[in-house]
Amino acid sequence: MADTVSLTIDDKQISVPGGTLVVDAARSAGIQIPVFCSHPKLDPVGVCRMCMVEYVTPRGSRVDVSCTVPVTDGMVVRTDTPAVKAAREAVLGFLLINHPLDCPICDKGGECPLQDQTLQYGPGASKFVEEKNHKAKHYPLSELVILDQERCVLCWRCVRYMGEWEDKPQLGLHKRGDRTFIDVFPGQPLDGKTSGSVIDICPVGALTDRTARFDYRPWELKKTASICTLCPVGCNLRLDERMHELRRIVARENPAVNEDWICDKGRFVRDYVDHPERLKTPLLRENGALRPATWDEALQRVVERLGAVIEAHGAKSAGAVAAAHVSNEAAFLCQKFFRVLLGNNNVDFPSGAAVRAIPTGLPAIDALKQSDLIVLVGLDLSESAPVLDLMIKRAVKRNNARLLILNPRRIESARYPGAYLPVRPGSAAIALNGLAAWLLAKRAADARQRGSIKPAAQTSGPGAQAEWAWLQAFTPDHVEAGSGVTAATLAAAGELLAGSQRALFLYGPDAGAGARGAATVSALNNLAGLLGRAECVAYIPSEANSQGARDMGLLPNALPGHGSLADAGLRERLGKLWGVQPPAEPGFVYEQMINGAVRALFVMGVNPALDPAAAQALRRLDFLVVQDLFLTETAQLAEVVLPSASFAEADGTYTNLERRVQRAPKGIRAQGESRADWEILAALGQYWQTAQGNQAEGSETAAQAEWKRKRKAKPARAWRQAAPAKPWSYSNLAAVSEEIGRVVPFYSGFRWEALGPGGLQWSAGAAPRSARRVEPAQVAPAPAAPAGSFWLASGPILWDGGTITAHSHPQVLKLIPPPFVALNPADLASSKLSEGSEVSVTSPRGSVRLLLRADASTQPGTAWLPLGLAGAPAEMLGAARGEPVAVKIG
Amino acid sequence: MLFELSEQAKAEIRALMARYPQPRSALGMALYVAQREAGWLPPEVMDEVAGLFALEPTEVRAFASFYDMLHDDGEPGQYQIKICTNVPCRLRGSARLVNALEARLQVKLGQTTPDGRFTLGPSECLGSCATAPMFMCTEKATGKIRYFEGLETPEKVEEALALIESGQAFTTTERWPLGPGRHAGHPDTNQLLANVDKPDSHKIETYLAGGGYRLARGTILGDVEGVAWRSPQQVIDEVKAANLRGRGGAGFPAGVKWGFLPAGVYPRYLVVNADESEPGTFKDRMIMEYDPHQLIEGIILAAYAIGTERAFIYVRGEYYFAAERLNDAIAEARACGFLGDKMFGSGNKLDIVVHRGAGAYECGEETALLSSLEGNRGQPRLKPPFPAVAGLYARPTIVNNVETISNVPHILRHGADWYKGWGSAASPGFRIYCLSGQVKYPGLYELPHGTTLRDLIYNYGGGPNEAAGELKAVIPGGLSFQMVDASQLDVCLDNESLQKAGTGLGSAGVIVIGQNQSMVEIAQRTLAFFHEESCGKCTPCREGTGWLEKILARVEAGEGRTEDIALMLYIADMIGGKSFCPFSYAAIWGLQSNLAKFRPEFDAAIAAAKGKPVLPVRPIYRPDTGAPTGMTTPSLPAEEKYNEPSRRR
Repeated sequence: MADTVSLTIDDKQISVPGGTLVVDAARSAGIQIPVFCSHPKLDPVGVCRMCMVEYVTPRGSRVDVSCTVPVTDGMVVRTDTPAVKAAREAVLGFLLINHPLDCPICDKGGECPLQDQTLQYGPGASKFVEEKNHKAKHYPLSELVILDQERCVLCWRCVRYMGEWEDKPQLGLHKRGDRTFIDVFPGQPLDGKTSGSVIDICPVGALTDRTARFDYRPWELKKTASICTLCPVGCNLRLDERMHELRRIVARENPAVNEDWICDKGRFVRDYVDHPERLKTPLLRENGALRPATWDEALQRVVERLGAVIEAHGAKSAGAVAAAHVSNEAAFLCQKFFRVLLGNNNVDFPSGAAVRAIPTGLPAIDALKQSDLIVLVGLDLSESAPVLDLMIKRAVKRNNARLLILNPRRIESARYPGAYLPVRPGSAAIALNGLAAWLLAKRAADARQRGSIKPAAQTSGPGAQAEWAWLQAFTPDHVEAGSGVTAATLAAAGELLAGSQRALFLYGPDAGAGARGAATVSALNNLAGLLGRAECVAYIPSEANSQGARDMGLLPNALPGHGSLADAGLRERLGKLWGVQPPAEPGFVYEQMINGAVRALFVMGVNPALDPAAAQALRRLDFLVVQDLFLTETAQLAEVVLPSASFAEADGTYTNLERRVQRAPKGIRAQGESRADWEILAALGQYWQTAQGNQAEGSETAAQAEWKRKRKAKPARAWRQAAPAKPWSYSNLAAVSEEIGRVVPFYSGFRWEALGPGGLQWSAGAAPRSARRVEPAQVAPAPAAPAGSFWLASGPILWDGGTITAHSHPQVLKLIPPPFVALNPADLASSKLSEGSEVSVTSPRGSVRLLLRADASTQPGTAWLPLGLAGAPAEMLGAARGEPVAVKIG
Repeated sequence: MLFELSEQAKAEIRALMARYPQPRSALGMALYVAQREAGWLPPEVMDEVAGLFALEPTEVRAFASFYDMLHDDGEPGQYQIKICTNVPCRLRGSARLVNALEARLQVKLGQTTPDGRFTLGPSECLGSCATAPMFMCTEKATGKIRYFEGLETPEKVEEALALIESGQAFTTTERWPLGPGRHAGHPDTNQLLANVDKPDSHKIETYLAGGGYRLARGTILGDVEGVAWRSPQQVIDEVKAANLRGRGGAGFPAGVKWGFLPAGVYPRYLVVNADESEPGTFKDRMIMEYDPHQLIEGIILAAYAIGTERAFIYVRGEYYFAAERLNDAIAEARACGFLGDKMFGSGNKLDIVVHRGAGAYECGEETALLSSLEGNRGQPRLKPPFPAVAGLYARPTIVNNVETISNVPHILRHGADWYKGWGSAASPGFRIYCLSGQVKYPGLYELPHGTTLRDLIYNYGGGPNEAAGELKAVIPGGLSFQMVDASQLDVCLDNESLQKAGTGLGSAGVIVIGQNQSMVEIAQRTLAFFHEESCGKCTPCREGTGWLEKILARVEAGEGRTEDIALMLYIADMIGGKSFCPFSYAAIWGLQSNLAKFRPEFDAAIAAAKGKPVLPVRPIYRPDTGAPTGMTTPSLPAEEKYNEPSRRR
């Protein structure tokens, strides 16, 4: 099939790979054949009959479709004959007889293939005088998608999408003949996590966006090619703006990242950008209350108060916690501000230093589609990264890939062939060690059977037998006692591993957090190494720019470019670039900073105050500055609040989980006076330098501040570094990018223009990776939960109750569940608690009131509490910190 | 949960699932079980069935809503009477039967009596064209179906209804009145129907007494009672040599088809197409009901030839009695060791599964049949790959018609030369002609290929009946084919001659139309059928058939326009050959030939038009009148406001 086939289309000689469909071959030659049912990402069905062409053969010509016919050598195709024109005209006539012709009130009008093709190929006048068939109109398929059955031309695209990609055939064709209509099952709305894709691919106005209906006419929109910043996949999308409002988001094709799809969160969670509650001006605390202020006032106050704290308590008394969904530029300037201007390494993000990440992330999204076994440890991609989940489904359906899942909860992906290992929270490392031991034992047995004289471990790859000696403890019995995985399940999973050729090992933030997480990653590395797939262990973060934040060095224990703090050479190089060397001593981690390790805290985009304990600590700070979109719980405690612009309102680059650096340009005017995160930091640095007198005199109005003039008279303070930092001047984003390129060598080519519409990946070989050797992954067993309590199992949920989703369209809000805790029905029955009642869930860290649900996916002995629910109850109880938490429910 | 399936029903469904290589195939049969229990298929029942099959409920509803005999939108009465109103029955007075039943039951077509006893409805061809008018009655509580035929007089209608009302009508499901209908044939070629008049003709004892299964046993085991062993290839060669052409409609040589199977690819399947739905065709039903073992022996031989261990008989859902007879016969043959793991004590295996369809004409098309057999909507699939390469469950599959397969034992018994002694070189052998419409003696006539139309109609059929007056037109190949007029009666009934005459032999359903008929009405009823049965997969057929029916109905109602004829010809032209499957030709050939031959009748109807069509000035799309009849209510509350004020800065 890979051979090249030559054919002639409209007298044009073209060569295409064998197996190409005629319609695609024509497109590649620049000849447009009109289509409705045919779609490059869906299997051909040949139902609309729009793509008729004439095949000229020695025995005469024949009019037939081009969307299901593969090219053959010497084929002669014409797309412009009278017969072809007649056929196209007829098909359009047929499609329109029962179409309501309501273009003036149709959302699709102006970008509708049916409209466009009717204009181009249609009959021009109707021959139809009968009564049209009537079907249901404005018929909701879900809270997000609405159907007009009369507009539908029955091209099957939506039905095929739900089957071929989403693998949830929730949409079906019903009845037959011209009574056929598309529908969901009564009472079971469309709930695929990427269901909104059907709106994009609908070639007519049948499927429309409930959150954007009647909000625009397509020709009025200003369209900006951007990316999504709600998860680390970095799906390519388009921002459609009108009158300075973000009216809708649609998918943009990028074959390497998201094909043609985006998830429902990326599409429908949009209103936060225009939300009336957005912060519009900086706020300053005065007499205990926040009041609007100018940027100048606010930045002055930050510089003054930060300076005061540092003066009083030393360089290490200030720190920054950021969200990993900020741009590379913001992350870079944030860490630089603290490292260079304040002289400490106190920068981190919530899943930063706490998680043992693989610096290079996923080898490539494409690798998912190629692999034959995907190991998912503590990951639930259908909730956390639905588009990545689509690619996994594709691998399963098209390549017969198997899934090996280690998760305390039976996640949706467990429906696929493979093995599900119900590990107790915190015990993944034990099960993984058990698998490694199982593999070694099997190899030894195989070697004995073959009569090999070599010792088993020698045959199993690099390393001496002694290196694996510690694994002997992980017998099936030990594994079962320590993780809850039975010997039979373990063996089934072992067989899967042993039979795989191209296994890929993915783990999430929950699995990699804390000491247990570090052991889990070691165990994964060992297992992958045993199978010769050491390069194929990947960390799948949960935040959009987690990879970028790490690359930029937004970590207390690593420098930009994943450099070690202990690397004197690197510090010296950075010192030459920056004028000041970054300190060698590791900074405080996120948990420490929000719990009182510092006296002044800079918070960018995170909301630690959701946790009452952290809120208490934040109240005791000398100085708190918060930079965010909304007046969050944390912002309400701040002395200074800085309004930042959302991803749609500011230029920035983001690095996705496969190290692809992509640009998100400004697509809409920023709300009020809000500014891009990096712009704020750029200004702040200037104010700081001015205040410190490092700047040439009088360039800033800030230099006139009263407090500074007093200070100037004083002698140099002990915390101030001997050599001054180089001037902090970033007039535009390019200036920041250019510096990033110099500091992080593998970002050096990533100028804005060079990134192009599809982004660029940095080479996985550029980052350091742990040496390939066996890492003993010892971890305490996770016993069965103490009597009367449950192990807390937590994981992501797509429709969470976080700040961004909570500020979305009312239709989206309907999908966000009220905070709940779920138990296995058997546990629920034996606990004598009733489903739907409010219960209190108590851990050593505190107690919350939640609704009780029954959920068969929750394993017996565990309580399932999603992360990110409104009020963050799971986080409050201590979930996702890497240690198992026992909770009592009553 | 309003309703829950009983454990027994669930067990029955699981047993059905176990009969197929892929359980989903049992979906239709499972829905019959569910429907029997629940009376119909409300969402909660479909949901439950979906659970048993591990399908999305939508898939079950999409399936159920495709088929006529699965009721997903309302509960029918205890006895559901469906009157065949298709052209062959119409020619023999089905309209009178409709009137009689409407008057007797005091309900209109489509309605249920207030006591919930009877539901009256129209039906497309039920395969009883020679014994028309007739109706089919379904007993809701048992799911049993019985045909009541030959209801020419009010007395017979009354008698049939009385039997149903007595509650005794379903002690048997054999056609009423009992026994095979009229049939005859050339004495030498009366092969396939030779035994149907024997008492207990369907029993294995009867079949064995006539020398049945000897051929199959001998061919497989060798030298049994004078029958020589043959290799599978020899069987194929013999069938090829006989040039046995398919009896389903397309006339493709069976032996050639068998030769298309890719070598060495197993498992492969044999599927017998018993979805006899072409209006005017009722031959397969006779074989299955009154000589099922003949078919089974044919299947054994065909399966041996092509090397399959599993055969499926896809019987149209309405042929309940045929399916019962086949199941009984298969049980008998299995008990005798003719089927199963060690057929005739040899190492060969064969299982035959009788699969009931659920009412969709399109399932007669072989790829649509395979889709349906796999538990999907009966819509055709892309070719290539052809079924012989990737058919059922994407395995190599041979699909043959019942009559085709039933011919196999006769060809092997007497040899290809004997077979070729009849008919023409291109269309050798004999076939069962289904004579229906306005003739004195409608019925099945087994005659050599090449018998003239005149011979069949006048010699065997006794000529046009009294009501018909003169003969006006004949449709020779089932309703799908072009009609011929009275000047063409000397055409030979074989594929080539009919092709020359501008039509085809199709399934040999010969429908005779008399002078007293309105050709406009015939055209309208024909298009109504194709509109009803269009599967809706592709645009031209889906939209075009309905459009044609609307125009014809308007012309018939006296609102025709002069441009309508050109318009109909245009539409027909744009359906034929531009659609997904051969259905596109079937839908329009009748109309095209009708317009060509009987144009004056259409012109006259238009000239006599009293009114002009009321043109809808603009489509009615607002205010919303709610869902049209037959539609389910939206699963979510409809949006009340079209344009909610959005939050603005």
